[in-house]
Amino acid sequence: MKLLKSIVRPNKVDEVKDALAKLNIAGMTVTEVRGHGKQKGHTAIYRGKEYNVSLLPKMEIEVVVPDSIADDAIKAIVQAARTGEIGDGRVFVLPVAESYRIRTGEMES
Amino acid sequence: MTQPASAGPPSRDGASPRRADASRAGGLKASLDAARQELRAAIARGAGGRSTLEHYADRVDALIRQLFTDAGIYDGPLAIVALGGYGRRHLCLHSDIDLLLLFGSGIGPAEERFVHSFLNPLWDLGGVVVGHQVRDIEDFLELERDNPEFLLALLDARPVAGARSVFERFSGLFHQPETHAFILRSLIALIDDRHAQFNGTLYQLEPDVKDAPGALRDLTATRTIALLTDPLLLRRGPADAARFDDAEDFLLRVRSTLHLECGRNQNVLSHELQERTAEILGYPGAEPRQRVEKLMSDYFRHARIVSRSLEWARRTAPVPVGPNLGLSRDGVRFIDPIQAARNASSWLGAFQAALDAGNEVSEEALSCIQQHVDRYRADDFFADANDRAALLRFLTPRPGLYARLSEMHDCGLLGRVFPEFQAISWRVVRDFYHKYTVDEHTLLTIRNLERLITTDAGDRLRFKSILSDLHEPELLVLALLFHDVGKWRDDDHALESERMAEHVLDRLHVSDEQREVVLFLIRHHLRMSMAAFRRDTEDPEIVKQFASLVGTEERLKMLCLMTLVDVEAVSPETLTPWKAELLWRLYVDTYNHLTQRYGDERIERNEAGLNELLANRPDDVTPGEITTFLEGLPQRYLHVFPLEAIYRHIWLARDIKPDEVHLSLERKGAVWSLTVATLDKPFLFSNICGVLSSFGMNILRGHAFTNPNGLVLDAFEFTDDERFLELNRDAHNQLLRLMQDVVSGRADVTARLRGREQSILQARSAQRFAPVVHTDNKASGRYTILDIVAGNALGLLYRISRVISQHGCDVDLVLIATEGEKAIDVFHITKTGAKLTEAEQVALTSDLQRALEGSV
Repeated sequence: MKLLKSIVRPNKVDEVKDALAKLNIAGMTVTEVRGHGKQKGHTAIYRGKEYNVSLLPKMEIEVVVPDSIADDAIKAIVQAARTGEIGDGRVFVLPVAESYRIRTGEMES
Repeated sequence: MTQPASAGPPSRDGASPRRADASRAGGLKASLDAARQELRAAIARGAGGRSTLEHYADRVDALIRQLFTDAGIYDGPLAIVALGGYGRRHLCLHSDIDLLLLFGSGIGPAEERFVHSFLNPLWDLGGVVVGHQVRDIEDFLELERDNPEFLLALLDARPVAGARSVFERFSGLFHQPETHAFILRSLIALIDDRHAQFNGTLYQLEPDVKDAPGALRDLTATRTIALLTDPLLLRRGPADAARFDDAEDFLLRVRSTLHLECGRNQNVLSHELQERTAEILGYPGAEPRQRVEKLMSDYFRHARIVSRSLEWARRTAPVPVGPNLGLSRDGVRFIDPIQAARNASSWLGAFQAALDAGNEVSEEALSCIQQHVDRYRADDFFADANDRAALLRFLTPRPGLYARLSEMHDCGLLGRVFPEFQAISWRVVRDFYHKYTVDEHTLLTIRNLERLITTDAGDRLRFKSILSDLHEPELLVLALLFHDVGKWRDDDHALESERMAEHVLDRLHVSDEQREVVLFLIRHHLRMSMAAFRRDTEDPEIVKQFASLVGTEERLKMLCLMTLVDVEAVSPETLTPWKAELLWRLYVDTYNHLTQRYGDERIERNEAGLNELLANRPDDVTPGEITTFLEGLPQRYLHVFPLEAIYRHIWLARDIKPDEVHLSLERKGAVWSLTVATLDKPFLFSNICGVLSSFGMNILRGHAFTNPNGLVLDAFEFTDDERFLELNRDAHNQLLRLMQDVVSGRADVTARLRGREQSILQARSAQRFAPVVHTDNKASGRYTILDIVAGNALGLLYRISRVISQHGCDVDLVLIATEGEKAIDVFHITKTGAKLTEAEQVALTSDLQRALEGSV
């Protein structure tokens, strides 16, 4: 199993969700986050005064998928979240050792 | 006209009295003597109490009426009014007879003749002291704040002779809530001062039965407090009416005795006089000391009742806060609930008063409204323009508004005033987000807005500053109140809300501009959250589309705040710092687009606004004239001005020649609007601003546009703090003449302005701001954008634009705004038709900084 942790533009969440749904990936966790990558924020000016917007609002989408469809899922996320501009985000892929269903205590493979 | 009370008889002129007069005077004197003799006899029997004094006052009334008749015919409206103790009919043997001669139509020679012929015989009677005031009824249009004792005496005013109608007019003018509130405050201060003279204790061994704590003045003061606040107050007091009346009768009998014994207006019950008083009042006891002890024990018993009643009245009396409204410990209540029940348009006043006092509306008042509210229709609450203006004023966001609106909703008033709101009462819409009924969600948006006013939370301060910028924040509250009323149906609620709000706005008779703002906000209340949270706001096209939707900064600010408080009112978790940041970023990007890029978006042939202008044009404006006039102007121009204003601009610009200036000036409340049309030339904008400042005008907002044909159209809104335009009939022409002279170079505005700038009146004590000067060559394709934020001051725009012109730059477009003490100006400038180079920007910025810092 793999944990796919994606940081995407806020307006891309629905598209990523739809793309994952097409791969029958339904469960996911979506979190509002703020941060920066290479983009390192930018300087905005309001009424002549500069202020630094270093942490940009992004969305984090976490899904756990079987190894067999991990590549398709990563591809789907990248395609859905991509605009081609700086600030499109990242997908991190982490191995998942074990997973348990809390309600039943059952281990999932 | 006011004549002060005279200390002695007015002088007389004319021939010696005729015999008939002498005989009449003799008769009057005899009847006064008889009345006084009768009074003396009663006092000597120990019966100088209330009924005796009232009887004596009645006999004096008869005498006054006789004198009034004898004074001869006076044609004008006049009333003779008894004041103070005489007005109350508690006229003691040596008390002053206080009279008010009240004229109904001015005071001239005829009135003065009457005053003489009425008062002289009264003075001649002797034996009594007469205090008189002569007033014209118009004197009561304004509150006489420097004479609270006179105002207190007027509370006891009682017509004795003359026209009843004059007295009634006086009563109408005098008995106003503000007057009552002022008298009450003055009375409390007078009581405190008087008590201080007696060391604050009623237990005096030789008490003054008029002035001491617990004596007659306190008794009258207690009744006055009730009269001014709640006529039924004393019924709930520590002493029942009978005991209070007994105390009064006792104190009057003592006072009468003192007057009789001393032969003058003497009110101190001294040791010497105590024995004689006890004897006259018939106290039993073998020894004088025993009689005196009984007298004094009675005195202290009565004085304690009076004193306790007064203290109780002071503690519990509602403070008058409006017509038929008092503020008590339990909130604002109706003084007379029966009267309130009959006058539904006065109910809003209770909520406004509570808001003003930072208090609540009492349960008693709320249940009175709840009981009667069903008898009224929506229109009954807006009987006239004042009621409608009061409602809009009430909706100004401030701490307490949510609580007051909730009270109005709970007692059924809100739904009756706005049946549209009633449609969402307790309305449940099931979705994943909303946690409250639609009506409560709506009211919570208003609570969130009012909380912004006082917030110190770091991430909310930026939104707080937007709220403080709004010119008509009440329109935002109005929009919030109705933004979700369409949810009574299950389909597209924004459109239904807009449709329903139209009915509300019809009833409120708001202006077309106000109506358009409110409907815009309701129609588009979901658009900003949609754009901020669901669109890629880093895409300039998204920002451009959104800027085009809102059109002006004012609407942007309102929609931004509306979105913020609406999202926050969905549930406590909905407005995350993340969402607030996204919203703010869209606001800033859109604000910058509106203020910095609008010069690039020029009016095009198929512009919707242009077509509307052509379709509605007046007969004397041709389509060609409209298109030529608009050619090259930014689209913003169409957003900012309504159709009628644009036609006026076209008329103003018609046939204009070099050096000519055409002006149009109009007043909207406290703000004046000036539109100037002329042809472009160096230093033009600077000169126009300089002329306005040289007349002391405080420029609040404005726009300056230049079209490619060199036509300049400047629209300013300003306040005329020195009232030059109001006080000078020829002001319009003077302004025009100077404007033409300065624009054509015949006059120099610098010298005129220098004097004003140095005036002490311009020395401002308010907080100053470090000036910000910023240039940007990227924002616009055509212009260098110059942003300036500085402390507002007279001549500021003149100084800024003069520096710009001195650098050889053209001022093509200007946006002028002020927020409190802050001036926010955005200039679109070019030099020889191009943007400024880096070096030119640096040089200009540095000179502007110097000019602005010099002005601080």
